[in-house]
Amino acid sequence: MKSIHILLVEDNEGDIMLTTEALEEGKIANKITIVKDGKHAIDFLTKKGGYENATLPDLVLLDINLPKKNGHEVLQYIKHSEDLKQIPVIMLTTSSSEKDILESYKNYVNCYITKPVDVNDFIKAVAKIEDFWINIVNLPR
Amino acid sequence: MLTKIETIIPGEELAKAIEFNFSNEVDFLNKMTELNNELVNTQRTLVKKNEEISYLNKKLTSANTHLEELMYVLSHDLKEPLRMVNSFMLLLQSKYAQLLDEKANTYIGFAVDGGKRMQAMITDLLELSHTAEKNTGKKLCDLHLLFSEAQQNLYGLIQESNATIVTKGELPKLVVNKTDIVRLFQNLLANAIKFKKAGIAPVILLKVVENKVEWLISIQDNGIGIPAEKFEKIFEIFNRLHSKEEYEGTGIGLASCKKIVEGNGGTIWLESEENAGSTFYFTMPKLLN
Repeated sequence: MKSIHILLVEDNEGDIMLTTEALEEGKIANKITIVKDGKHAIDFLTKKGGYENATLPDLVLLDINLPKKNGHEVLQYIKHSEDLKQIPVIMLTTSSSEKDILESYKNYVNCYITKPVDVNDFIKAVAKIEDFWINIVNLPR
Repeated sequence: MLTKIETIIPGEELAKAIEFNFSNEVDFLNKMTELNNELVNTQRTLVKKNEEISYLNKKLTSANTHLEELMYVLSHDLKEPLRMVNSFMLLLQSKYAQLLDEKANTYIGFAVDGGKRMQAMITDLLELSHTAEKNTGKKLCDLHLLFSEAQQNLYGLIQESNATIVTKGELPKLVVNKTDIVRLFQNLLANAIKFKKAGIAPVILLKVVENKVEWLISIQDNGIGIPAEKFEKIFEIFNRLHSKEEYEGTGIGLASCKKIVEGNGGTIWLESEENAGSTFYFTMPKLLN
């Protein structure tokens, strides 16, 4: 069975719960790391600031409205880093603004998803992310 | 918007002065100087008034912008916590319904229902505040295509209610904001279908008349109609004529229509009688600045 490590960058407790529950419902054995702001995300990815023993994730789920460093900044950091740029990043945010979408793709986001308002749709969306990126896509190892 | 006063010519005074049979040149010159002074004074007053008007206009514009920004931020920021309330209420309902008694489930039902209605209101409010924001993105559009798009968006509702939509006349091509006009048609059509008489399928007639300076577009239905004393009220935001049990809605649809029509330099009104259907009219000027 495939095992995959997902880094969830999300500050909203409710969304953390919804996302992790939806991921856990999937049949795939996953490891989920949660960080609650942009600075911690970068620290985790660069194994600094208490994350010295971190292992790099296979996939990043990234919110935009985050404290300290926002999602755009984290995305830019990842995609400009020679060590991290190959990790697929998925924006998972409430924003549906054209500006956020365009900026994300210009910064090489792998896909952009607006959080569905309806909770059942939200869970479905997360399940689909999981299915697509784990079962269908070939990720770098 | 207040308009500037261009000029004032004291024409009558001038005519009188010319008619006057001056006994000598001095009298004539005196009269001319007097008139000239008057003119100068009038012009000064005018300049001052125009300055006042432009100052007030600026204040009005900034107040409006401020209000729209506030509305956008409010509705946008309200969405997030509300999504949490709705999400977990629904999860509670779907996962724990069997563990709770009937009363508890009724409580949850009320909370879910309230949350859903608030969600709909916020979505509509966001659209309403967007209407003004996007006033700039105008392009030449074929209104016929926009009307079709509105119908496609309402496909489910049209099928479900067995509604017939008939078109008389041809919709023009105009310089408009596409999203706004689709929403205008969509709101008017949705109302025409929603407020149908029980057991009678909606029949809707879209009529287009070309006048000298404007297009007159009307949407007529065979629904429940609106009493005359409510004609003004229905265009006000959050105004609803029916309880939510009778007809669902947020009371923003027609306010949005009015804003869109007026934003395009037209007017919107209706003719209706209770139990005899309603006809909503709106105009679109042919020339847009």
